[in-house]
Amino acid sequence: MRRFFLLLAVLLAGLGPALAEGPTDKRLSEGQVLRGQFLQERHLQGFANPLRSEGRFVLAPGHGLIWQTEKPFAITTVITAAGLAQEVNGNQTLKLEASKLPFLNQLYDMLSGALTGDWAKLEAGFTVTRSGDDQHWQVALKPRKADDPGMPFQALDVTGSAFIDEILLTKPDGDFDKLAFHDQAISGQPLSEAEAAAFATTGP
Amino acid sequence: MRAAALFWLLLVLAAALYLGWRLHEGLRFRTDLLALLPREAQDADAQHANDVVTAALSRQVMIMVGGPDRDQTRAAATAIAAALTQPKLMELTTDSFGKDRLRRIGELYFPYRRGLLSAQDRQSLLEGKPEAVSLRALSQIYGLVGMADAKLLQRDPYLLLPDFLTHLPVPLSRLSLDDGLLALRDGGDYWILLAGQITGDPYALAFQAAFGDALDDAVAAQRQAHADLQVLRLGAVFFAKAGAEQAMGETSTIGLVSVLGTVLLVLAIFRAVRPLGLTLVAIGTGVLVSLSACLLLFGELHVLALLFGVSLIGVAVDYSLQYLSEIFALEGGAPRERLRRVWLGITLATATVAIGYLTMFLAPFPGLHQIAALAAIGLAASWATVMLWLPALDHSRRPRHGERVLSWAGAFLGWWLRPRSPWWGWGGAALLLLIAVGGWVRFHPDDDVRRMQSLSGPLMAEQDRIQQLTGATGGTQFFLVEAADDESALQTEEALIDRLGPLLAEGALAGFQAPAQYVPSAARQRQNRELVHRELDGPLLAQHLGQLGLDQLEPPPAEDAAFLTLDQAVAKEGALGFLGSLLLTGGKGALHVVKLDGVARPDALAGAAQGLAGVRLIDPAGDFSQLLAKYRHRALGLLALSAALMTPLLIWRYGWKTAPRVIAPPLLAVLLAPALRAWFGASFTFFDGMALVLVLSVGVDYSIFLAETSAQRQRVTMLAVAMAAATALLSFGLLALSSVQAVHAFGTTMLIGILLAFLFSPLARTARPRPEPSR
Repeated sequence: MRRFFLLLAVLLAGLGPALAEGPTDKRLSEGQVLRGQFLQERHLQGFANPLRSEGRFVLAPGHGLIWQTEKPFAITTVITAAGLAQEVNGNQTLKLEASKLPFLNQLYDMLSGALTGDWAKLEAGFTVTRSGDDQHWQVALKPRKADDPGMPFQALDVTGSAFIDEILLTKPDGDFDKLAFHDQAISGQPLSEAEAAAFATTGP
Repeated sequence: MRAAALFWLLLVLAAALYLGWRLHEGLRFRTDLLALLPREAQDADAQHANDVVTAALSRQVMIMVGGPDRDQTRAAATAIAAALTQPKLMELTTDSFGKDRLRRIGELYFPYRRGLLSAQDRQSLLEGKPEAVSLRALSQIYGLVGMADAKLLQRDPYLLLPDFLTHLPVPLSRLSLDDGLLALRDGGDYWILLAGQITGDPYALAFQAAFGDALDDAVAAQRQAHADLQVLRLGAVFFAKAGAEQAMGETSTIGLVSVLGTVLLVLAIFRAVRPLGLTLVAIGTGVLVSLSACLLLFGELHVLALLFGVSLIGVAVDYSLQYLSEIFALEGGAPRERLRRVWLGITLATATVAIGYLTMFLAPFPGLHQIAALAAIGLAASWATVMLWLPALDHSRRPRHGERVLSWAGAFLGWWLRPRSPWWGWGGAALLLLIAVGGWVRFHPDDDVRRMQSLSGPLMAEQDRIQQLTGATGGTQFFLVEAADDESALQTEEALIDRLGPLLAEGALAGFQAPAQYVPSAARQRQNRELVHRELDGPLLAQHLGQLGLDQLEPPPAEDAAFLTLDQAVAKEGALGFLGSLLLTGGKGALHVVKLDGVARPDALAGAAQGLAGVRLIDPAGDFSQLLAKYRHRALGLLALSAALMTPLLIWRYGWKTAPRVIAPPLLAVLLAPALRAWFGASFTFFDGMALVLVLSVGVDYSIFLAETSAQRQRVTMLAVAMAAATALLSFGLLALSSVQAVHAFGTTMLIGILLAFLFSPLARTARPRPEPSR
């Protein structure tokens, strides 16, 4: 769970500077929506092949994130300030209200900082190393407390250009997740009805 | 006479020495109202379970420390925790939530994983839908909120154990572990929970003080650094402390006002200091002897018994007033002569009143035994002092203002003496009947024990806030599951859990924790293994593994391997700490508790237990209310009994014809007092019933004094009775001001009853004592 939030934070944090430093001011703001495709590879030791999944995501400031896995089967994960909900083939399998995720608020603070390119909030918990130029940049995050049991990864490496292109998440036991993003676009179009409905599923 | 007086002096000195020694040792007072209630041994197992659960609940303490800043709040909470745990005043259970705990839970359950299924997975397998389990697992492995771990998947490819673990009922679900402390965020504030058990008796004043002071000091110290630190408290010890402080405060206030009032009254009537001194000697020996005798008898006293005991001053003073008022009599005479005129009256009164108090011993209430003993011994001691010491210490002569004082008493008596047409009597009787009938129509009993205690308002607010923050409901109801052994108890619980599911959905209760949820019965574990083997190990497994691309699995545990037992679960220290509190020891077989949270419809729950052998819904507050109802009836029985016991004595003394005139005034008071209370909408409780027992005894006193006196001495006796009533009102009546509902009810009924007994007492003046049996 916590890993997921960190991933989300990094996803948004990566966007911040990229957007802010791009040719035009593409900083994601209220009312704008970032849509894109993802390819997730989960490398587990003892598995011949990585677990691959792919799908689409929708990131809307003020609303939250829709993570829609389409292959190998349909899993929709929605996260908002109200909580988290997961559906598999149209059946809800998980629902956690924000009240049961007490640190959601805290993470939202961190996210909003990240969205405006404020890395300071992430730097409280991680050493942040940046390299490259505006067109091809890398950010490496390492937890400051190496043995914190609440920190289920060893390193997080993000590479990007206009947007985040790839995230590599390494776990202590050698497993790692690779997330690649493509076909990303920002639009000022309002949320579709389906998207708005998805965000509503996390509510009470 | 002289020898008896000396002997009495020795006894009083011994009592004083004993009391002094006990005071030096430090007195122990009990403060919980429930300790006053009887121990019913009808159902030993239920009583045992009730005691164990109640004791465990009463020792639970929750303290929440909150503030806007996470680090500051954590530091403050840690310091406060240290201030309570280092002197061993409290043991924290939230300590065991460290990072080790999850690992320990994993170690405990892992070997038995094939017998442990979440309710949802089990349902899917029972319905023959194993694909649902496979899909659930795949979504967890592939999804963004991934739980995939290669080693785990090789041993538990369907992630059955993680699903079982995430569905375990967790008390206080709004809290989560943040770097070793249980915390939550609410608005802009960060809160830390410190929960645990106090190490002492929450109802012992000494422990209350030590615990309360340590907490207050620690909070004050932290507030110096962070003024915006918030601290919320929840626990019986806090309520008990507030209640005890209130009762002690009331005792000293009521006692002081009562003593001051009596002093002023005696000074105003006698206009001399010596009668006051003599009165104080009589009261003092009464209180001293009764207190030390009761400490010797009971070891410790209840604060409420002490509160009632203090009001005894009002009765103990009666005998000295009877004697002292004789100074106003026209015939005057030496002290011994004056005593001779009243001794029979006060002795008879002491005997009848003692009978009244001693009937309290027939009710099996430990607190009432203390009150009865305090009262009876105190009265006897005051009586002995009046008889043996007062004439020797008295050198007073008839004061000059005597006639004026007597004329006041005569004025009141004159109202009764005035000749009237018989219609007056009939009219008066009709009016009284109207009051009585009107009142008895409005009469309604109330036995809810929760309304008898006064609970501190600020503490209630803190309790509500904590419950709102944590999601804890603080319920005291539970199911008791009784069976021959743990296995059958667990099986019974599994049947019960099936019935509770729908009630949970309907909102009849908010949650529950049963041992069988943490450790399924061996039968259930065997059935689960069979289900897993039949539904999940077949072709579906190959398909599932194919989807994952996993080719090697660790061999599963043998089908005939041992099952997880409750003993193992409890022995794994730090893993399931609260499980131990659901298992009671000391019974014949297994005694389990299913704790209930947020019970909205007790009737629905009682229905759920029906037909399940050995399952009972226990509701301690409800049970105590039922007991109070039972003993309210018993108090009325005592009233009838004590009237019945007094009557032969009065008939022996006054004969058939005039004895009713002696018994009429107290009887009228006893009948009219609750009627008048009911007119004002007050309900009738057990405590009103006990007050009526006392009204009867005190009222009989007044009647006897007036019946024993001669026509020419009537005014003197009336004066003494008036003073006795005034002092009784000053002491008992002041209890009406108490904020403890039970004491308030007792006091108000006493106030009205004694007033009525006094007003009607002249009725007894026409009773004719038979010739004195002896001189």
